[in-house]
Amino acid sequence: MNKFLLSFLTVLFISTIISAQGFKVKTTGIQTFNFEDKNGRNQASFFSATPLEDITGTGNAVSGSVSFDVADFAKTLKGRISVKVSSINTGIDLRNHHLQSSNWLYADKYPEISFEIVSINDVKQTADNRLEFKAKGNFSMHGVTKEVVADVDATYLDENDQTRKRAPGDLLGVRSKFNINLSDYDVDNALIGNKVAEKIEISINIVGSNK
Amino acid sequence: MNIKQKRTLIIAAIIIVALLIIWIAFGGHIFTRTQVLVEKKDELFPDMVQKEWVNKFIWGLDLSLVISVITIFIGSILFYLFRDKKRSAELS
Repeated sequence: MNKFLLSFLTVLFISTIISAQGFKVKTTGIQTFNFEDKNGRNQASFFSATPLEDITGTGNAVSGSVSFDVADFAKTLKGRISVKVSSINTGIDLRNHHLQSSNWLYADKYPEISFEIVSINDVKQTADNRLEFKAKGNFSMHGVTKEVVADVDATYLDENDQTRKRAPGDLLGVRSKFNINLSDYDVDNALIGNKVAEKIEISINIVGSNK
Repeated sequence: MNIKQKRTLIIAAIIIVALLIIWIAFGGHIFTRTQVLVEKKDELFPDMVQKEWVNKFIWGLDLSLVISVITIFIGSILFYLFRDKKRSAELS
C-alpha cells in the first residue's frame, strides 16, 4: 500500500513539474507587470508591404498590464495591452493624418488599439528566465474585436543594478508578432487607392515593471 | 527656335536632370520624408529592437516630379514669350 502511495505521489509530483511551466527566477508568487513607460520606449509597430513603398509605423503610447504566477505562467497569465492611435507615426505627417482620420483608424472615435490575452499554448522554456509561446487573444481595432494568435517571447529579469537603471522592480520583456487583415476590422484600404496592403504585420516590443 | 528659346530649353532640361540625380542620390524613395527609422538594440534585452524616428530629410520622387512640372510650366511660358514675334507675324 505504501509503495502504491509513493508511486502515486511521485507521478503526481513529476506531472505537476511538467505541466507547471513558468520562469525559474528568484521571485515567486503572483506578479503584476505594468507596461506604461513615461519615456515612450515601449512600442507597438506595424509593417505593410506595398507596390510603391514599404510602410512602417510605430506607436509609443503603450499602456496595460499582465499578471501571472511566476511558477505557473502558462495557466495563470492574463492581461491587456493597448496603444493610443494618436501616437502612431509613419514618418510622414500627411500619412499620419490620413491614418488617424475617419476614413482609416478613426482615432477620435476609437482612440485605442488593444490586445487582451485569452489563453496561451505551445509554451517552450528556452532559458530559466525565458519562455516562448503562442498567445490567443482578442485584438480590438477600429471598433471591431477579433481573435488572433500571436507568437510571443517573454524574458523575466530579477531586479538588479542594471534593471534599476530602467525601472524599479523585476522587469518583464515581451516581444510579439502577429498578422491581421485590414478588412477584418472594417478598415477600407481601397479608400486610399490600395496604397496599404490588406495584410499588416504587427510587432510589439515592451518592457514592464512589477513595482 | 531662337537663342533665348534654346537657353530656356537647355536650362529646363538641366534642372530636370539634376532633380533626377538628386532623387537617385537620396536613395530613390517614392515619397519625401522628414524622418527616418533607426533601429536600436535594447541593452537589457538584446533580442529586442527599438525603432526610433530621427529627423532626416529624404528627397523623394514626388518632390522631383512637382519641381519638374513647375519647371516645364515656367519653361513653356518663357519659350512662348521668347518667340520671334516678327517671324510669327510673317508666318501668319
